[in-house]
Amino acid sequence: MSTSATLAPERWRLSQAAGDARLFLAVAVAYWVGAEIAFAIGTLSDRIFAPFWPPNVVLFYALLVTPRPRWWLCIAATLPAHILVELQVGMGAPGIIVAFVTNCLVAVANAALVLRYLRAPPWFNTLSKAALYVLITGLIVPSVCALGGAFVQIAGGGALSNYVQYWTQWYAANALGSLTLGSVAMLSLGERRATPRGGGREIETMFIALALIAVCAIAFELSTAPTAGVFVPTLLYLPLPLILWSALRRGASGACTAVLLVTVVLVWRTLNGPGLFGTRDPETNVFALQLFLLSLSAPMLLLGAAIDETRQTAHAARESEGRMSFAAASANIGLWEYNLETARFWATDHCRALFGIAPGTPLTRDVLLQSVSCEDRIAAADAMRTKILPDKATEHEFRVKLPGGGVRWIHAHTQVHHDDDGLPARISGVFTDVTARKDSEAEADLQRSELAHLTRVSVMGELSGALAHELNQPLTAILLNAQAARLMLQQDPPPMDEVRQIIDDIVDEDTRAGEVITRLRRLLTKGASKAEAVDLNEVVRSAMRLLRSELINRRMRLGLHLAHNLPPVHGDPVQLQQVFLNLMMNAMDAMNDTPGSQRNISVMTQLIEDRYVGLSVSDRGHGIAPEHATAVLQPFFSTKTHGLGLGLSICSTIVRAHRGELTVINNPDLGATAAVTFPAEPLEAAEAAQ
Amino acid sequence: MIDMQGIAFVVDDDAAVLRSMARILHAADIETRTFQSPAEFLAQHDPQVPGCALLDVAMPSLDGLQLQMALIEHGIERPIIFVTGQGDVPTSVRAMKAGAVDFLTKPVKAELLIAAVRRAFERDVQSRHVRGLRCSIEARIAQLTPREREVLTHVVAGRLNKQIAGDLGTVEKTIKVHRGRMMAKMGVRTVADLVRVAAQAGIGPQL
Repeated sequence: MSTSATLAPERWRLSQAAGDARLFLAVAVAYWVGAEIAFAIGTLSDRIFAPFWPPNVVLFYALLVTPRPRWWLCIAATLPAHILVELQVGMGAPGIIVAFVTNCLVAVANAALVLRYLRAPPWFNTLSKAALYVLITGLIVPSVCALGGAFVQIAGGGALSNYVQYWTQWYAANALGSLTLGSVAMLSLGERRATPRGGGREIETMFIALALIAVCAIAFELSTAPTAGVFVPTLLYLPLPLILWSALRRGASGACTAVLLVTVVLVWRTLNGPGLFGTRDPETNVFALQLFLLSLSAPMLLLGAAIDETRQTAHAARESEGRMSFAAASANIGLWEYNLETARFWATDHCRALFGIAPGTPLTRDVLLQSVSCEDRIAAADAMRTKILPDKATEHEFRVKLPGGGVRWIHAHTQVHHDDDGLPARISGVFTDVTARKDSEAEADLQRSELAHLTRVSVMGELSGALAHELNQPLTAILLNAQAARLMLQQDPPPMDEVRQIIDDIVDEDTRAGEVITRLRRLLTKGASKAEAVDLNEVVRSAMRLLRSELINRRMRLGLHLAHNLPPVHGDPVQLQQVFLNLMMNAMDAMNDTPGSQRNISVMTQLIEDRYVGLSVSDRGHGIAPEHATAVLQPFFSTKTHGLGLGLSICSTIVRAHRGELTVINNPDLGATAAVTFPAEPLEAAEAAQ
Repeated sequence: MIDMQGIAFVVDDDAAVLRSMARILHAADIETRTFQSPAEFLAQHDPQVPGCALLDVAMPSLDGLQLQMALIEHGIERPIIFVTGQGDVPTSVRAMKAGAVDFLTKPVKAELLIAAVRRAFERDVQSRHVRGLRCSIEARIAQLTPREREVLTHVVAGRLNKQIAGDLGTVEKTIKVHRGRMMAKMGVRTVADLVRVAAQAGIGPQL
């Protein structure tokens, strides 16, 4: 294209003119050859009219391969060939003109309509395209053009009263040419297969061709027998199995070629020997034969196209499945399907790799299930279920024990497919390897809980003085009580009632000390996060036991406003207590410079919109400077001289892991309020958990 | 052993600790009164009753050190023993500087507690005695005329009558009369007695 654009105008014109000349010559020669072949096969008794007329197909073919602006050249090229040919058979000038016009008309109409409706090769790959072709070139165009074509013989001296006969002959000759030779010619325009064919196919083709010729010859030999008239239908249908064979093996091209072969042989034999149909009039014989061949070629072409279409669909399905399997395997995805009707289980080969199954083992549901680790087998069986349970897509996750000893996490997505009647037909699913995600989740969880533990320990460190006091109080009471009791027991008589009271007190105080230690240990223990129903009021009360001394030491006054009938939240009690402790420490730190009389902390729990549980801690301290408003939740941000800057950041992480939200805002008058909200756990779920 | 030296006033916000302290002191025959808040103690306190106070350092509203300050501001000289869960050095230094008798850390052994209380009682008795003595001496000094006070100061300083007369611009005989009256009013016979009494009233020899 680019070269033609760079050619000098005169050279381009020269090369175009040369091309035009070649086209002109080729079409003219082909037209003439086609006519000679037609005459070789035979003409009717008038020596003019051929029952099988290839020149029209030659022009049709030429028009198909020529761009529309050059069509006039093709038509012009046929004129000298046409005149030459018709003069050869002694046709008069009026006949030549009418024949030329009608011949061109049928070819142009065929070409235009075929290009308009069949557009481009492959021409007969679908049944609908083949049917359109039969309709256009086998029915509409020849029947319309035959209205004019019938005048060829009238112009040559034929009686007007024979118009219907001439129309029929003209129609049959053109329709037969288009359906047999035309379709073969068009198939030659289709794309060639790139893959070389095996020698077996060539031999088969040759065999079918030879067998067809032989069968046609046998049919004619038999027809010369005296009683042949009775067997004519049988004899006619002798080639049919071979045509069907060809169609089944080669599709439309096989069917068309076979029919063309039969047509040529039968027409030639009929015109040059005794007819098949018993009558001695070759014109009647040929007409009968034409009708027979027309009725044979159309269905055979359609059959071939249908076979091609089915084969292509199957091929496309196979290709698509191959592509899908390849894509799935590349993405480390396994596919499976269970057909409810046939009870057949199918899975892609990649499932073997995913489930650690040795190559060669048949992939059945049981084999897959056996490689799943025992504790997850119920989930896996549910994922690969063969019964319709809930009629919707489901997701499962389970572990697979690998032969090497490792564990692989598989995520299974399962879906039910319905047939055209809306009934469940297939259950299919996708297996994805999510080990990496699971590992990183576990890693992140571990890091979060370790960091949470670290900050918990550091909070405990800050509280150590106050916590020592919390322990010293009961220990003091116990020691003094015990010593008092010892003194009392030396009296005579000992005051037993009082001693008993003392012992009761000792027991109480010991319990109290034990509780403090239990609470401390719970906060200091490094453990995996738990998920249970947690009462935020209890979290506050429990933390208050640890904070009591700290509040006293730092001269903080506390206002507790705990809501009644607070629904539980779902989470880890230790981490939630850590959040509260942190918020309390921050509130106290914020009031370091506040006069003693104004050091008030207000703690409130409440139910918000019946769906959320809120816990807030308000102080009367210095509040948050506007420039720090967005930074307070960031890690390593601190305004305290001794702070690590992790407290609120960890709180925020913990709260988010509990599907909650942490906000810190300044109060309108003084100080700031830190508030956390969590979704309330439904009561039934909480009861079930307990 | 009956100990009538005084009453132990115990202030602690922790009821259990309060009860146990009362018990051990009672078992040691020490009369005890307990208060769960500093305010309660201040409201009911009678400075005339001898004894000591046992104060918890960490208490809501008013801590032990602030209670000590409040007592001092009211002019109450009550011996104070601090009992604390966190015996940090700065707090104890502050407490002792403000006149605390003792600073005990919890958990405290009974013997230590009782001994401390006894010591505080002795301190209370002593200080009450000193206070009484000083009161009477001050009353006697109040009876002296200005001239007699001047003579007293000079006598305590060890000066002879003649020197005093010279200093005050009078004759020895007049000084002898003032001195005699002064000695009589002070209820002492010898100069040595006078020096001792004057020292208790804070009047020392002037150098």
